[in-house]
Amino acid sequence: MKFTSRHTGARHTAAVVGVLLAAGALTGCTETAAGSGGGGSAEAGACDPADVTLVGQVRNESNPYEASWLDGGDAFAEQVGLTQERLTYDGDSTRQQEQISQLLAGDTECLVMNILPNGDSDTPPIVEGAQDAGAYLVTQWNKPADLNVADYDHWLSHITYDGVESGKQIGDALAEAIGGSGGIVALQGILDTGAAKDRFAGLEESLAANPDVELLDDQTANFSRAEALEVTKTLLTKHGDDVKGIWAANDDMALGALEALQQAGRDDVAVVGIDAVPDALTAIEDGTMTATVSSDGPWQGGIGLAIGYCVATGELAVEDIAGEDRAWFAEQFLIQQDNVADFVSPVTSEDDFACGNLFSRSQGAIS
Amino acid sequence: MSLRDAGPPIALVVVFGIFAVLSPDFRTISNVQNVLDAAAVLAVVTCGISFVLMTGSIDLSAPGIMGASAITVALLVANNRNDNDLGLIGVAVAVLLAAALGCLSGLALVVLKVPSFMATLGVSAVGLGVATLLFAGVQPNITDPMLEGWAVERFLGLARLTWIAVACVLLGWLVQRYSRLGRYAFAIGGAEEVLALSGVRVAPYKVAVFTMAGAFYGLAGVLVTSQLGAGLVQAGRGYDFSAITAAVVGGTLLTGGRGGILHSAVGVLLVTVLTNGLVQVGVSPYWQGGVQGLIVVAAVAAAVIPQRRRNQVTK
Amino acid sequence: MTTDLQTEPGPRAPGSPPALEVRGLVKHYPGVKALDGVDLVVRQHEVLGLAGENGAGKSTLLKALVGLVRPDAGEIWVRGERVRLRSVVDAADHGLGMVFQEQSLVPNLTAAENIVLGSEGPGVRRGIYRWGTMRRLAQEQLDKIGSHIDPLARTDSLSFADRQMVEIAKVLRIEERTAHPPVIILDEPTSVLESKEIDTLFTQVRRLREFASVVFVSHRLDEVLDVCDRVAVLRGGKSVGEVLAADAAPAELHRMMIGATGSEDHYHDGAAERSGEPRRPRLVVRGLTGKTFRDVDLDVHAGEIVGIVGVHGSGREDVCRALFGAEATVAGEVVLDGRKLDLSGTRAACAAGVGYVPAERKTEGMVGPMSVADNMTLTKQHARCSGPLVRPGKQATLVDTWIERLSIRTPHRGTAIQRLSGGNQQKVVLARWLVAGDVRLLLLDHPTRGLDVGARSEVYRLMRELANSGVATVLLADSLEEAIGMSDRIVVMSDGRATKEVAAPAGAKPTPLDLVKEMV
Repeated sequence: MKFTSRHTGARHTAAVVGVLLAAGALTGCTETAAGSGGGGSAEAGACDPADVTLVGQVRNESNPYEASWLDGGDAFAEQVGLTQERLTYDGDSTRQQEQISQLLAGDTECLVMNILPNGDSDTPPIVEGAQDAGAYLVTQWNKPADLNVADYDHWLSHITYDGVESGKQIGDALAEAIGGSGGIVALQGILDTGAAKDRFAGLEESLAANPDVELLDDQTANFSRAEALEVTKTLLTKHGDDVKGIWAANDDMALGALEALQQAGRDDVAVVGIDAVPDALTAIEDGTMTATVSSDGPWQGGIGLAIGYCVATGELAVEDIAGEDRAWFAEQFLIQQDNVADFVSPVTSEDDFACGNLFSRSQGAIS
Repeated sequence: MSLRDAGPPIALVVVFGIFAVLSPDFRTISNVQNVLDAAAVLAVVTCGISFVLMTGSIDLSAPGIMGASAITVALLVANNRNDNDLGLIGVAVAVLLAAALGCLSGLALVVLKVPSFMATLGVSAVGLGVATLLFAGVQPNITDPMLEGWAVERFLGLARLTWIAVACVLLGWLVQRYSRLGRYAFAIGGAEEVLALSGVRVAPYKVAVFTMAGAFYGLAGVLVTSQLGAGLVQAGRGYDFSAITAAVVGGTLLTGGRGGILHSAVGVLLVTVLTNGLVQVGVSPYWQGGVQGLIVVAAVAAAVIPQRRRNQVTK
Repeated sequence: MTTDLQTEPGPRAPGSPPALEVRGLVKHYPGVKALDGVDLVVRQHEVLGLAGENGAGKSTLLKALVGLVRPDAGEIWVRGERVRLRSVVDAADHGLGMVFQEQSLVPNLTAAENIVLGSEGPGVRRGIYRWGTMRRLAQEQLDKIGSHIDPLARTDSLSFADRQMVEIAKVLRIEERTAHPPVIILDEPTSVLESKEIDTLFTQVRRLREFASVVFVSHRLDEVLDVCDRVAVLRGGKSVGEVLAADAAPAELHRMMIGATGSEDHYHDGAAERSGEPRRPRLVVRGLTGKTFRDVDLDVHAGEIVGIVGVHGSGREDVCRALFGAEATVAGEVVLDGRKLDLSGTRAACAAGVGYVPAERKTEGMVGPMSVADNMTLTKQHARCSGPLVRPGKQATLVDTWIERLSIRTPHRGTAIQRLSGGNQQKVVLARWLVAGDVRLLLLDHPTRGLDVGARSEVYRLMRELANSGVATVLLADSLEEAIGMSDRIVVMSDGRATKEVAAPAGAKPTPLDLVKEMV
């Protein structure tokens, strides 16, 4: 079991209360929903739990992290006796918008959407569409800084992670692994993305705190395993034995770097990444990789639906969500060899999705 | 080799020379080995795409076909998902599947008259679809010692898969020079209607060219799997345009009928040296994309200008 | 005329049996009867010339003989056997092969590959080339015609003359397919050759006759008479007769090609209305030089129609395009109404009042799917616009006026122009310059191409109307007859130079023969 540190006491009570409330709403709300139907925008909290439609949308099921996100959504849906509609748009913004408009053209009264927007600019149209259609929306990762969640009453929440923090966490872990001094190289993500920028800023913070660690070189491998393989090979020929550690802005690149190290016959280089993809966890178990950071994909897949579900069924009112919980950083977990076993087979905990517990992982509002 | 074909090799030597002067790290033996190893996969993809470009068609199916072949081979050789351990047979099956997908492009082109741009884009999507289905949420990591060895074990200083790529280039050159398929591919790009006037049925050769290209992409997908130790759906991401770029930089015309495997091989080396050299001389990653693009455009322009003059004179 | 031929025995005997016979061949295209009952006999071991003006049906006939065109009616007999030719391969199997006018070699293959292309035989085993065998096969063919080309040279590195040799060597491969002497068709083989190369070609043609029959097509009548034994003449898709080359003169042949002479005044009834007094020339061209023409001088007065005549390859089309800024020039000066004309592009020409009616009406002259009205007002947007805005009302009135004045048969001004007949399309294209109102120089490149007689005469009427309004006109006519009939003056071009100027006032027209003498 993972994430056992929090809310152990309240967990059972909350779950029971949640189920009771849901059961109570089952009989009470049906008429209300029927009575107000047709307007396209139902009263918040007027939905029969059985009428709620749950939709999870990510880029690609072939990405293990995003697949695990959808699995988490399924777990939550099962928990409340529903099924989740799994949508993927292949990283194609146009397709994402088409899928959303198709959803919103249907019955939107009790529609709950947990969306991973393709990029910052894809978020506004999704938000406007959901608001107009009266569907409940939670977005994650990408949002323009000036788009304010509190300005909307159907866009319930936006969840993201502090990239600076994750970059720093693995930077510190790397510094520790190489004994506090020596040369490292950095593999950056796609340079014009916020995630790449923030994570690298985190590395720079970590470097400031570890003055004996020297950044020999930083290159982009565009978050790609294959590109990371080539770039790492090149950097290894360039810097040779000076390289003691490799900091990668995601696990795919870290895994590519590991292959390059293996091909070069180097086993003295520490590698860190971010995302906690299964192969990275295996590598950490084996001891070939040092650390990664998990945002807990399954939890992400469940929590967005849970927030929407709680509001749709009336257990939670939008106006009761604290301002700092409308757009927030969620907790992330540094994974190293000592705790990797807890993450290898990710599972969701029902209690995390109880209506009283939705925001328990908040690390604070997005500034 | 005539004067106008000499442009890309000269550019390669010049670019190599400049980097060698600027960076002591660049001119080490180990870095040259590294460049050759790094060029291997792109070289195999470019072998395939060169034949298609020679006929005057275009092929964007590499990402999908490579993805399908990468996942297929990863699931057929010893891996962490199932108990298969087919070894070379697994590689052969993956290449055959890729050839079948290439054949599909060719058939769509000649039977359904879908322009090659759209046909191959569609086949790429089909390939990615097949790959995603086989992928089923869990990445297959290979444990097959032979396939893993391709990327690690060295012969005369180069990884085995680099030698495989060299063999592919050689094979491609032989096909281009000594097979009817290769010569007709060349002729189709030169004057398709003349072939028809000479009583040659062009369609089967076009299908064969796409099929052969598919097989090359399939092998490239296998090589990527060997390098990464895992079958990735995205194994071929970006290789379509990199390969077209390499072919064009090497002097193969998008309109067909000119260039060939050796040209493309030079183009591959040029592109790879560029990527490697910019890192070695320490160009900021924020600048690299733009600088690389400029150099590529300059190289192509230099290769095309003499050609344009020639056309004007004979027109 | 060469004399050595006549001393040769045997092959020229008029009684030698027919190798190929064509009976009553008919081929219709929409609106055109390309072949209207052609009869033709090609005897064994003879060189038969085929003569006819543009549009007489020569190329359709040739295509039918090699299976590229399927006739609607009529029969083709090869050595006493009736054949149906479905493809080039079919024709080759019957011993019929053609050297195409636009050269049909793959430029990026070697000469050897081109020669054996499609019938490599032992040159390719199981899909693998045997370059040695290939070279030998090609060399055998080249030896037949005594050519010394390197079989492994890339075709695009060869001269045009050598490429022609490769084509002939290639076409002779059909000997491999049939036990009988083949029939070799040469379509305009001299058009890209220089005179020395032409001599070599003729030697080849005579050599071919030893083991084949040859059909020789050329615009240049002296060539035809020089190399052929017999000449058959086509006119309007019909066979109109044949002559023995030894007895005939170019003039006689030409008369057969164009039919009755002396009807040219028919075109020119409006000439009298124009005053003959000398004026300052509206267009002055001095020393114009481009890729295919050199030192061309030309004067055209207001209200005058000047025809330029010349054989294929004389460069007259390019001169015409150059005046419109659509063809690059390297030297020379063009002055229109006292102002130097900017030849850098078509926009400048348009702005200076130059109008151009291209030969390729369907691809260059009009925008097929657009309406009659839009096509008519394409050039001068201001005719219907004030500022950037379209004023449909004004456009409609203007266009309707011209549709009526020119009696353009269209259901409506909004009808897509591609639905109109060729003649009406051409009237719309011409009307574009009438609508513009300020055209000073009009360049007409084959304005009556593909039109029937009725439509032609209407286009003639329009041309005269434009000339009478003061427009200077340069005409590249479809036939000599037309050039003579329409023009006030005729400039003869030959090999890129303006070699002769002939006055052609009403009542004192030159004969086509006068011009042909200068052209060839």
